[in-house]
Amino acid sequence: MWVAINLAVPLLSSLAMALLYGSTGLTRYEGFAILGGVVLAFWGNVLWSMASQFNWDKEEGIFEIYLVSPAPISAILVGMSLGGILGTAPSAAFVILIGWTFFHISINASWLAVSLTFILTLASLYAMGMVLSSLYLAYGREAESLNNAIGEPITLLSGLYFPSIGSGSPFPFAIQVAASLIPLTIGMDALRKSVFYTGSVNSVSLDLLVLAAMAVVLLFLGDRALKALEERGRREGTLVLRLR
Amino acid sequence: MRLLNSILASAWMGWKREMSWTNPVASLLIKTVAPTAAVLSAAIVYWFGSSFVGLFTPERLAYIIVGASIYGQVAAYAYVPTAAIAEGKWSNLYPQVYITPSSTVPYLAGRCLGSFVDSIPVVAISLFVSYYVSFPMFKAYPVIIISPVSVLMLAAALIVSLPTAMALGYLLGAYTVFVTKFEWALPSYVSGLLMIFSEALFPASVLPYPFSLIPEILPFTYLMRASRDALIYNSWSLYLGSMEYLTFGGLVFLAIGILIFRLAEDSARNKGFIDKKVM
Repeated sequence: MWVAINLAVPLLSSLAMALLYGSTGLTRYEGFAILGGVVLAFWGNVLWSMASQFNWDKEEGIFEIYLVSPAPISAILVGMSLGGILGTAPSAAFVILIGWTFFHISINASWLAVSLTFILTLASLYAMGMVLSSLYLAYGREAESLNNAIGEPITLLSGLYFPSIGSGSPFPFAIQVAASLIPLTIGMDALRKSVFYTGSVNSVSLDLLVLAAMAVVLLFLGDRALKALEERGRREGTLVLRLR
Repeated sequence: MRLLNSILASAWMGWKREMSWTNPVASLLIKTVAPTAAVLSAAIVYWFGSSFVGLFTPERLAYIIVGASIYGQVAAYAYVPTAAIAEGKWSNLYPQVYITPSSTVPYLAGRCLGSFVDSIPVVAISLFVSYYVSFPMFKAYPVIIISPVSVLMLAAALIVSLPTAMALGYLLGAYTVFVTKFEWALPSYVSGLLMIFSEALFPASVLPYPFSLIPEILPFTYLMRASRDALIYNSWSLYLGSMEYLTFGGLVFLAIGILIFRLAEDSARNKGFIDKKVM
């Protein structure tokens, strides 16, 4: 049931984009749309089940239980990330299966590069979820509006369905630089290279380094931000205040 | 008169809810960002694919921008009755609306109307922004005709599509009265399927047979066609044909929607789902 529920947006969006690619006459890029759908499943999980999770838990009175547990809040979030990745993997696999069945996508993959890129993309993406989680903890119920507002623009800038940086990007240089600060942008670019263009580990080594650096920095930032907000919330008595 | 008052009161409440009970300008900006980004994503996919094979045309770019912008409005509708019932169960508002005689149907109609009013500026801004960023990004302006007549034609098409939108609302409402969690699952599927089957991004002929027949029976397809007839082709004959299907199809769809919603509501009352929520 959970897989079926989570499948709707990534599957139908990627099918629509693949059909749009097909309608332009460029069927060989339908794979870009399916790959975008796979990563969209994880991005949706980061946004709705990671970034906003503490806010929902606070509304339901579960957050207090996290606070009194001996585990640090950031460790709970890391655990949630692993659970989120495992829970989303079947939906992503279905997108691949259905995309493969309907569009007969031809790939030219270097599996070592694909695996490394995928792992580091998810690590940096979920680390970004930790940073957003601390932000949403501070902003309370505005989190949902923020999620609705940032989801699509990040999908656009990060080039989930088309290259948004480098050659083929429709964006001006300044926007490409800004887009490069989003882990999803670097991850998608590297994934396209390694899945469709036989990108060896060497050809995506710079992307892998950047993704690894982003994961470390974002994890550190998320941890510090969570601690700071927890401390501020304790002082001001707003940590478990609902409907803020 | 009492029915009209109920609908208008619900529309006012729905509009405030859609605005997240906040500053209308801030809310409008937040709400516009996502649909505009979605329209641009579709336009870029078309540009990227068609440029590669040398088949890019500004007319087709306009086709995608208009369809994707109107689709944004349709997708927004899909969630409104679901949110009205699901949140209403949480806050005990929905059971109270229910126990007021003959109130749930006008209540959902009002909420859809509120969402309709709320989404008009979103569509307009999405179209406007997508049109103006097209040149810097694609070195071509989409062929969209903006004149008082074409805007009035578009406005008429959107108004005539209201029964269709409400019908979808009642059908999804019929589902939502029975569910206590994951209420957004079915609307997600419905809005996603409409993206594929309503000619929002590509003509029905792109779909393999027999799937290519589905768009022909959906009133939403005729909203897309009427909007394009107004803004791109500027053809009265095509426009009136699409409007005819949209009007009659929408009214039939609305009658079916209300009937199914009433049956579902009766069944939900008998089974104790009207005020059931997961704590």
